[in-house]
Amino acid sequence: MNAAGPPPAGRWSLWADRNAGSIFLLPAAVVVLAFSLFPLLASFYLSLHRFKFVSGGFELRHVGWLNYKKLLFGSQQYHFLGTAGEWHAAFTFVVVAAAAALIFCLYRAARRGVGAAGIVGRVLAAAALLVLLLLFLRIIVTGVPGTLATTLVYVFAGGALQFAIGLGLALLCTSGLRGGNFFRVVFFLPLMVTPVGIAYAFRMLSDMSKGPFAPLWKFFGGENFSWAADPWQARMVVIIGDSWQWIPFIFIIMLAAIENVDNEQREAARMDGADAWQVFAHVTWPAVMPAAATVVLIRAIEAFKIIDLPNILTNGGPGIATESMALHAFAAWRTLDLGGSAAVAYLLLVVSVVLSISFFNLVVAPSRRLR
Amino acid sequence: MAPAGFRPLRIAGYAALVLWSAVVLFPLYWVAITSFKTPSQVNGGPYYLPFVDFMPSLHAWVYLLVDLRNDTLRPFFNSFVVALCSTVLAVLAGAMAAYGLSRFRYRVHLGSIGLFLLALGLAAVAVVQAGVHWPVAAAAALAFFFLAVRALAPRMRRSVGNQDILFWLISQRILPPVVVVIPVYLMFQQLNMLDTLPALVVTYATVNLPIVVWIMYDFFNALPRDLEESAAMDGASRMVIFLTVALPLARAGLAAVFLLVWILSWNEYLLALFLSTADSQTMPLLVAAQNATRGPQWWYMSALIVLMIVPVIALAMLLMRFIRRGFLVGAVKG
Amino acid sequence: MRIAMRNVNKWFGANHVVNHVNLEAEEGEFVILLGPSGCGKTTILRLIAGLEQCDEGQIIIGERDVTALPPKFRDLAMVFQSYALYPHKTVADNIAFPLALRRVPAGERRQAAHEAAAQVKIADLLERYPRQLSGGQRQRVALARAIVRRPAAFLMDEPLSNLDARLRSHMRAELKNIQKRLGITTVYVTHDQIEAMTLGDRVVVLNQGEVSQVGPPGEIYGNPRTLFVADFVGSPPMNQVRGRVRQGVFYAGDSKVAVDAADCEHAVLGVRTEDVAPAAAADGDFAGVIYASELLGDCTLVTCQTGDTLLALKTDKNFAGGIGEPFGVRLNRDRLFLFDANHGRRIDNNARRAGKP
Repeated sequence: MNAAGPPPAGRWSLWADRNAGSIFLLPAAVVVLAFSLFPLLASFYLSLHRFKFVSGGFELRHVGWLNYKKLLFGSQQYHFLGTAGEWHAAFTFVVVAAAAALIFCLYRAARRGVGAAGIVGRVLAAAALLVLLLLFLRIIVTGVPGTLATTLVYVFAGGALQFAIGLGLALLCTSGLRGGNFFRVVFFLPLMVTPVGIAYAFRMLSDMSKGPFAPLWKFFGGENFSWAADPWQARMVVIIGDSWQWIPFIFIIMLAAIENVDNEQREAARMDGADAWQVFAHVTWPAVMPAAATVVLIRAIEAFKIIDLPNILTNGGPGIATESMALHAFAAWRTLDLGGSAAVAYLLLVVSVVLSISFFNLVVAPSRRLR
Repeated sequence: MAPAGFRPLRIAGYAALVLWSAVVLFPLYWVAITSFKTPSQVNGGPYYLPFVDFMPSLHAWVYLLVDLRNDTLRPFFNSFVVALCSTVLAVLAGAMAAYGLSRFRYRVHLGSIGLFLLALGLAAVAVVQAGVHWPVAAAAALAFFFLAVRALAPRMRRSVGNQDILFWLISQRILPPVVVVIPVYLMFQQLNMLDTLPALVVTYATVNLPIVVWIMYDFFNALPRDLEESAAMDGASRMVIFLTVALPLARAGLAAVFLLVWILSWNEYLLALFLSTADSQTMPLLVAAQNATRGPQWWYMSALIVLMIVPVIALAMLLMRFIRRGFLVGAVKG
Repeated sequence: MRIAMRNVNKWFGANHVVNHVNLEAEEGEFVILLGPSGCGKTTILRLIAGLEQCDEGQIIIGERDVTALPPKFRDLAMVFQSYALYPHKTVADNIAFPLALRRVPAGERRQAAHEAAAQVKIADLLERYPRQLSGGQRQRVALARAIVRRPAAFLMDEPLSNLDARLRSHMRAELKNIQKRLGITTVYVTHDQIEAMTLGDRVVVLNQGEVSQVGPPGEIYGNPRTLFVADFVGSPPMNQVRGRVRQGVFYAGDSKVAVDAADCEHAVLGVRTEDVAPAAAADGDFAGVIYASELLGDCTLVTCQTGDTLLALKTDKNFAGGIGEPFGVRLNRDRLFLFDANHGRRIDNNARRAGKP
């Protein structure tokens, strides 16, 4: 038997143990302070200035909110917000439907016993939402979308597509078909490819004269045609490339979440006479809902930053059709408009923070409360 | 579920799986065979099967690995070093922070945060308006901050706790790199670190740190405390507990996070575009550069893409058995 | 070594979980902390361990005040309810871990681990991993890890509660044997009063963060100071009859029993099952009907309903009374306890004779 005795309570080791909490947190805090907080403030400062190279350095001239004004109301409005188009009859229908949905939500909130202040706030928010929806429709359907609308299209359309396919694949892989493990590995592959590589690969694939689908295209009577000339087709290709890469991410997390659902619950539901759809709707989906909400949030946060794909796949074109906000900021930087670039970047930050936090509060947090 | 029993559904299920496998594999296949095509085979219209409708050639590979050699291998080496170092750094710092947040109680006074911002602002004003040399301003600001905190700490009431710090760290991921890249560029310019590997390493580590904290926090929270308390009783210090008990227990999560962060740094394009020009060029930049004035060099590009995918697949295979479990904890509990 | 707690207080929020606790464990003594869940016994153990910090008071190990020291420097060994074995280490590495932390050379470490393993009879399992062991074997590994170095004291947090009943009684004997052989002070937390009775040199009964009674197991059982201790210790629990005491007579419904106690309007008469004997329904202290009869093997536990109260007693294993039949009981007059229902303290004169511990 070893009479080891107590370790000596040296000053250094005692100090280290007492302050262990700070020591653990320090590296991360320092790095984040230096590389996130400082640049964030500096970037904001820069966005209020005009940047100019002069001999032996650079010069900053304070211009106030000019960079932002240009983007929102001035010469760059077409580029950032886009150009609103004509009113279209179909909009009426969409807006009425949205208004009905919002009123239903308000009604439910009122039934739940939300206070008067809450109701007023919700009414105002709903009205603002309707106006924004109207504007958004006029920009993307009949107008010319700017980088803001394009980014939102990437986030919403891309996110919805990726989630639908990712969830579908995860359900298929857990449905008792054989070879699940093989498909899992295969489906994971696109996540490992560099976005730059994906951009080039999809440029090759979508080449309708020498690409692999050219013969098929010609067979169906397609002309020698470039999809890159049509704004919506170009956006579609960007979304397809982005989805190809990120569906695996959603797939793998939804797969894990579905496998984590207690199988006995599913069996109990089936014993009670539920069919496949009912098992999904009443057992699987409620159980994986928090994971689903979280993964959609992660995906949306990343999607706001999209830049490599449009930059290389289409170079933002035709015109500014595929230009995302990040690419917009990058383009401004390339023309040495550092203040303008910082302003675009800051607006991107505001948009993504507002939407991410709204999504978190409205969807992610309630979904967790159920558990 | 349904397909398990009913035959037509079963067949439809398999058809969907096979179809998606084709969607996933075909682009990769096309890139792989393009890297073995000659320019005329690429430009001459689609050829699908090596040895059947075209004769594969190694010319792109020979050109990249023999003729150019260092111009190809240096970016590869750069990418490898940057990915490895930044991933290790991010995982280590992130895991430490996540562990700390799940095991200790922190209270940061709002007052000291205010003082910190004040010091930062004063330093910035001094640098911009009065032309003070920045290291002097930074040192003075730090000194001011510490003295002010010491003097005022007893009077501070309101403070933020673990969940706020956690949210702060994770929320850094919302920050689009393009927002911070210009000041980071200017910062490295001031430090004479532009176009160096350390600059990329530190930047990538910061950008990916939130992911590590996010996933590892839930992982550490799910670990039983008994093991660590037992180690503490047996005479282990906090750091020893972290290294010999907590990290080995969380190795599934660590493996998954390591792979994810590796993929993100290995494939990163935007920050590299800003921060490196020649010496520290990374692989994504090299791939992008093949879109030369003569038009895209598809064959070189494809070879480089294949060259980039192989190490990631090797790493993934090494870590794969941990991955699904690792992703789950982070995702489900958020 | 000696362990002492001086006037220790601990709050979790507004919850006063440890309330002015004073505690002494002499060198080599086996002290049991006994109480229902939530009584603060585990918190007291964790305070001694240093895993929690005292809000007030002092903790002394040997001659050292360790109140502010982290667990690392207290030189205690703890056995956890879950055993806390490291799943990524072999049994040998698990046992040798405390020595590795003290930079003991590898050879010595192996030797010590082997000896400790031999003490708890698992020397043949050293190369296995915890997941390959049964519950009882894991328990032994945890024990070996505690004894591999000679700590100032052992702390045990319900170490036997995850074992099945048979193994538990076996390990109980073995644990006591090892502790006495090594002569190391042990503080042992349990809610199982059989463990407390069989293992402890001294038992500390806790209720809502306060010490209710401290004493040798026999005294805790045979002379409970409060209604809580009387109720909690003993299986089946002590019979309790509510009533009132007037001039040396205890009245409950129609029944009366002569007692040696002060007057009290809300009194509780307590009597152990072994101090109750069956009697003819007419001439017992209490008369009622049979409520249940359970064969325990060596005897039969008969529960008799009288008025609102149930009285249990042990009788012959061949007892054949049916439910609902009339039944009388007689109490052993020398073994009656009387408590004040309001504050739970004893009011009979035996208590004063026994003195307040």
